[in-house]
Amino acid sequence: MSLSLAQLLNCLGMAQATEVAPALALVGTEGAPDAGYAAGTASTTAALLMLAAGDAASADAREAVAAAAARPLVGDAATGRDTRMAALGDLLFGAEAMGDAQVQRTVLVLLAAAAAADYAGLGLAPPE
Amino acid sequence: MPAEILARYIGAKWGEPVVISGLKRFHGGAARQTYRFDATGQDSGRREGMVLRRDPASTLIETDRAVEFRALQAFSDSAVPVPEPLWCESDAAPLGAAGFIMREVPGGRAASLLEPDPYGTDATALGTALFTALGTIHRMAPEAAGLTAMAPQDAARIRLAHWRATFDADKFRPEPVIEAGFRWLERTAVAPAQRVSVVHGDFRSGNFLFAGPRLLAVLDWEMVHAGDPLEDLAWAMDPLWGNNSGKAAAVLPEADAIAVWEAASGLRADAEALRWWRVFAQVLGATIWVSSAREIVDGRSHEPVLAFAGMVPYRYHVMTLAQTLLEMAA
Repeated sequence: MSLSLAQLLNCLGMAQATEVAPALALVGTEGAPDAGYAAGTASTTAALLMLAAGDAASADAREAVAAAAARPLVGDAATGRDTRMAALGDLLFGAEAMGDAQVQRTVLVLLAAAAAADYAGLGLAPPE
Repeated sequence: MPAEILARYIGAKWGEPVVISGLKRFHGGAARQTYRFDATGQDSGRREGMVLRRDPASTLIETDRAVEFRALQAFSDSAVPVPEPLWCESDAAPLGAAGFIMREVPGGRAASLLEPDPYGTDATALGTALFTALGTIHRMAPEAAGLTAMAPQDAARIRLAHWRATFDADKFRPEPVIEAGFRWLERTAVAPAQRVSVVHGDFRSGNFLFAGPRLLAVLDWEMVHAGDPLEDLAWAMDPLWGNNSGKAAAVLPEADAIAVWEAASGLRADAEALRWWRVFAQVLGATIWVSSAREIVDGRSHEPVLAFAGMVPYRYHVMTLAQTLLEMAA
C-alpha cells in the first residue's frame, strides 16, 4: 500500500480528534455548525478502516507470494516491499537499456501480479 | 467557517446588512474547502443560495483559484452549464483563505466513486449531454479563459514534464510501475494536438451535477489549463471513473462517448494519440494519488479523503497501468 497502516491510523485518529469529536460535542447546542461534514469524515474513516482491516489480514500472505516470485530474479532483495520494488525497477530499466524484451516482460508480469494482488487485498470488485 | 465573515463580505457587496443561514461544509473535495449557504439581505429581503470554495491548509493539487474563477466566467452563459461565478479573492483576508463565491446550482447531485450504477436509465441521455459539453469546452481557445496557449506540438511534452516533476518531488517509496509509465510516455512520440484548447483537467463522473437525464453543471475547474483536448477525453474515459460499469464516465460505451465528443468538438480521436493520452491518464492519476499520500506521510494533512486517494485509487491505477504496460510489451 502507498500508506503504511500506522500512517493511515494516525491520520484517521487525528481526523476524529480534530473534526468529528468537536462537532459531536456541539450537537444540540444553539447555533451549532452543520454536522454533515463531521459525519462525512466519520463515514470515510469507517470505510477506510474496513478496507485496511481486510488488507491487513491478507498482507503477510501477499508479501510472501510476491517475495517468492521475485527471489529468482533479485535474490535477497525480494524480501520487503521497498527493497523488492527498487530491485525490480533496476532490473526492468536495465533490461530496457539493453533492449532485453524478455526480461522486461518477466519483470512486468511480476509487477502486474503484485499490483493486482494489492488491489484485491482491498476487497473491492475488480475493474470492468 | 464563521458565518460572520460571509455576512460581512456579502453585506459589503450588496450594500445592506446580510444574514447567513444554512451554512454547511461539503465533505469530499480534496483541492478546495467547499461550503454552501443562503445569504439574505435585511433591507431588500433578497435571498440567494451560494457556494464558497476556498483553499485548505493542505491540498491534493496546488492550483490558483483565480484560474478556476476565470474559467467559470468564460463558460457562463455558454452551452456548457457551470455555476455562475460571483466574486474571487486571491488574498486570505476577506474570506479567511483565498477563494471565490459562486451561485448555488439547486436540485442536482454528483455521483460518488464507489456508487454502483449512479445514473441508471438516464445514463445514455446524460452521457450524450456530458460528452457534448466536453466537446464544446474544447471549442474554446485558451485565451478566452485567460489561459496561455502553447504550440500544438508542445502540449503533451509540457504536461508530461509538469507531472514528471511532481512525481519526482513527491514519491516516497520505489514506484517502478509509475516510473515505467513515465518512461514509456517520454520515449513514445504522440501526434501534435489537433487544436490547443481549454482543457478542464478533471472532467469525469463525480465532477458534475445532474438531475435525472439533465446535466446541470460541470464542476471542479481547479485543474483547468491549455492543452490537447484528448487529455480530457482520455481522463474522462479512464476506467477508474466508470463506477465499474465498463462505460466511459459510467454513462456511455466508449465508442459512443468518442462519437459524441467528436461531433461536438469537431475533432477526431486519433486511436494512436488517444492511446498515448490514456496511458498518460493512468500515470497522472497514480502521481496525484502518490502526492495525496505524501501529504499524510509528511503530516501536512489528516484528511481521510487524501488517505483514501492514497489507498484505493492509487492501487487501482498502479494495477491498470502495470497491466497496460504488460500488454504493450507483448
